[in-house]
Amino acid sequence: MMKTLIVIPAYNEQDNIVKLVEDVMSYGYDYLVINDCSRDSTKDLLISNDIVHLDLPINLGIAGVTQVGFKYAKDSDYDCVICIDGDGQHLPEYIKDLVGEIEKGNDYVIGSRFVSEKKPVTPRMLGSRLLCLLIRLKTGKKVTDPTSGMRALGKKVVEDFAESMNFYAEPDALCHLLHKGFEVKEVQVTMKEREAGVSYFHNPLKSLYYMLAVSLSIIFVQ
Amino acid sequence: MSSVLRLGLLLASLMVFILILYTVIRKMLNIKYSIVWILWSLLSLLMAVFPESFYKISHLLSIQMPVNTVFLIMTALLYALTFNVYITISKHNKEIVRLTYEISVLRKELDDLKRQNER
Repeated sequence: MMKTLIVIPAYNEQDNIVKLVEDVMSYGYDYLVINDCSRDSTKDLLISNDIVHLDLPINLGIAGVTQVGFKYAKDSDYDCVICIDGDGQHLPEYIKDLVGEIEKGNDYVIGSRFVSEKKPVTPRMLGSRLLCLLIRLKTGKKVTDPTSGMRALGKKVVEDFAESMNFYAEPDALCHLLHKGFEVKEVQVTMKEREAGVSYFHNPLKSLYYMLAVSLSIIFVQ
Repeated sequence: MSSVLRLGLLLASLMVFILILYTVIRKMLNIKYSIVWILWSLLSLLMAVFPESFYKISHLLSIQMPVNTVFLIMTALLYALTFNVYITISKHNKEIVRLTYEISVLRKELDDLKRQNER
């Protein structure tokens, strides 16, 4: 049995976090919530519900938070880390599928929405297609859902990421791993639509900048 | 270059030199980062005092207006300086994540100990 840690970054997630953690716990995995200096009552909820968590003194943003999780996993000698968003869009029922693929010897497993499902034609998915194409041109490997934040990392990748994470987001991190020859696998998952709040990609300027930054990173850096 | 521009450059670089020395002495600027600024202001002061060098450099580079040589050199130096700042920021970013991690782990261990004691 692999020693598996579920890392759950949480920033202002008072409405979701307790239910999500209860859900994750019901599957019996170790988990770690990382409170990224939330301004709502997330911290109080974590303490009053006896939830295992790290409380960051400053707001690091999603990349920094996940790296803190990887550092923790490395120092605590975990074999496998699963990243799940604190907003509840990633369903814990799929964790075992991701862990299963790591156990089979893969280094990096992505929870993809489009392994067996068809990718819809929307502006956002157009961006996803473009990133797939770029990754394919750079590494020769085919991926279906490069922006997915639901991922499982094997020990080698955790150690790599704990030391240095020079990525803009998930797609260029994926490209880096493919380029370095890590075994990457995608498994089909379903994600929940967000219930509250506005997506980062709701703002077209931010989406454009995201695409630009990730594309440049894939082309020149990774 | 016109004499007004020369005088302006001279006065400006003198003021910058004094300002930088002042901030360093008042410890507003870390000595590690002040060296480059002292050199920078000394250089601009030298350039203002001996503008003839610009005429030579302009001639060498086939730049017709010496003032353009001033802009060129200044821009290049600013590029180098800014780039250096970005490198420093990147290093600090990494260090901040490291420190934040250490602090949060210490907080957790302290909390766990406190809870054990309460029992």
